Amino acid sequence: MKITKLGVLGLGLSLMMTSCFKDEPLNAECDIEQVILHSTDAEAVFFNLTDTIQNVLFADSIIKVNVRSTAPLETVTPEFKTTPGATIQCIDGDVKQGKAIYVVTSEDGNWHRRYELSLVPTMVTVVDTMKFDFEHYELDPTYHKFYVWHNVLPDGTLGNDWANGNAGFKISMSNAQPEDYPSVPIKDGYDGSAVKLTTRDTGPFGVMVNKRIAAGNFFLGSFDVQNALLDAMKATHFGIPFDQKPAKLSGYYKYKPGATYIDQKGNAVAGKTDSGDIYAVFYRNHDAAGNPVMLYGDDVKTNSNIVAMASVNPMQVTSEWTYFEIEFNYSKEIDPAVLENRGYSLTIVFSSSIDGAIFQGAVGSELCVDKVRLICTREE
Amino acid sequence: MKKIFLSILMLATSVTAMQAESFLTNVKSFIKPWRVDVRLGYGIGGSAPIGMPESIRELNRFSLTPNLLLGLDAHREINDRWGFMTGIHFENKGMSIDATVKNYHMEITRGGQTLAGQFTGRVVTDITAWMFTLPIQATFNVSNKVQLKLGPYFSYLTNRTFDGYAYNGYLRVGNPTGEKVELGAVEGERGDYDFSEHMRRFQWGVDVGADWHINNRLGAFADLSWGLSGIHQSDFHTVEQTLFPIYGTIGISYRIR
Repeated sequence: MKITKLGVLGLGLSLMMTSCFKDEPLNAECDIEQVILHSTDAEAVFFNLTDTIQNVLFADSIIKVNVRSTAPLETVTPEFKTTPGATIQCIDGDVKQGKAIYVVTSEDGNWHRRYELSLVPTMVTVVDTMKFDFEHYELDPTYHKFYVWHNVLPDGTLGNDWANGNAGFKISMSNAQPEDYPSVPIKDGYDGSAVKLTTRDTGPFGVMVNKRIAAGNFFLGSFDVQNALLDAMKATHFGIPFDQKPAKLSGYYKYKPGATYIDQKGNAVAGKTDSGDIYAVFYRNHDAAGNPVMLYGDDVKTNSNIVAMASVNPMQVTSEWTYFEIEFNYSKEIDPAVLENRGYSLTIVFSSSIDGAIFQGAVGSELCVDKVRLICTREE
Repeated sequence: MKKIFLSILMLATSVTAMQAESFLTNVKSFIKPWRVDVRLGYGIGGSAPIGMPESIRELNRFSLTPNLLLGLDAHREINDRWGFMTGIHFENKGMSIDATVKNYHMEITRGGQTLAGQFTGRVVTDITAWMFTLPIQATFNVSNKVQLKLGPYFSYLTNRTFDGYAYNGYLRVGNPTGEKVELGAVEGERGDYDFSEHMRRFQWGVDVGADWHINNRLGAFADLSWGLSGIHQSDFHTVEQTLFPIYGTIGISYRIR
């Protein structure tokens, strides 16, 4: 009899624990996850049909799609894939005229995000030498915590082709000052401002996720902070579509390795000195089946779609600005028709620790870079 | 002179002895009506918010933890029906759960760095709370074998752990529009947390229970202790909901006098 009562008590407790779950809350997120650009004449609008599907990084709120200079934009209708339940409203402009502003509201109505979608008519690159002087930088517009850079586009406007891992560092070191991030500008470069990349300690959170250092990195492409903790190799998206055949890369650098090289577990590796890394990769951005190809941290030097590479090897330890000039070594022929249709992508990568992608290196390693030139050969 | 001193000493000694005797008699008569039981019990329960927030979706795992209770209780009857009980218990109010959450506020502070935001995914929480508890209870005899008891308790924690990790999900840093950071399942990919030092040392609440005296010596008991103080310090808001320890304990008792 008593035992039954005790049983009732136990049952009552477990019922109390489980019966009080409420209905699922409405979604609070309001992201555009994907844009599908429908067009009755897609081939006339886009360089590649795969451009009609644009996956949007969660941290991005500006979606720029390069289209042909003669693109009939009036044929384009965007379709948005948002967080389930979220609603989207165009508040300004019209994609058919090249640019529109949208506001996405979460299912629960409490949160909003503003997006800009633009279709940018893109001319064929006419200059043979691309200049990267790193003079245009600012604090990131959302958090004002770290620096972002802009490149000068052929029409004189500013682009966002240079990416770096500062957004990932912010997650581990939220209290860091902008100057303490791995990628920072310095005013007294070789010529005007330069980029300074420093391998940084990622602090207690870095230890938590076994990513104890953050190499300063700087590359053509984009950084997806979503993967910064789980699969850091997939956070670095290397490459931007490029319609010229690169031949040479030159510029100026300074390099000084940090004092103690540490492995992933944070143990000092005796006798090992850190090295910086400067290289460029040119690759075909679609596979044989026509699927888009992007290079990531784990295959940027090994992917089978790579057609040419150039690297500074070995790098010197130097406190003076040192000139480098490296040639692209082609392993495959270039298809001029694919090149013209932006079927190749280029990345140029600078890193203060050559093994930074696997979180090994020396805290304090420092690579400065300035006045980078990319020389292309004209295909007749 | 020596004689006087000795006689004073003797007098003093005899007075003290008399007083001690009467004191002992007093103590004995005070102790006499008290019955003393040793208890051994096991608790099942958890530290949970009162009114589950909608951000907690599901309980995937609830593991038994060593919630042992070792106690010594003294009981005195005031009349046929009513009585008074107090004692000292050493017990653990532990918990180990795995819950699914949606848009659940999390904040992790380490070495002065803070990572805060809204987490959707799974959260493991492990609590250990060994404590000394002083119950103060009124008792009511339902029959000569069964008595009910009710009253407050006061606890002091000697060992406190509140830790766990967020995994298989994602964090929106700051708020639902912030960066999305995926967390994996294994150490190094998930987000570990440890709020042990923010646990309150003193806790209090209300105990209700029943004692069943099987024979002169052996008994069984069932208690429900409902915490009225949250397990964390009141200025700690990282875990948004105040968690109250609510435990049911069953066990056996043995009368030693």
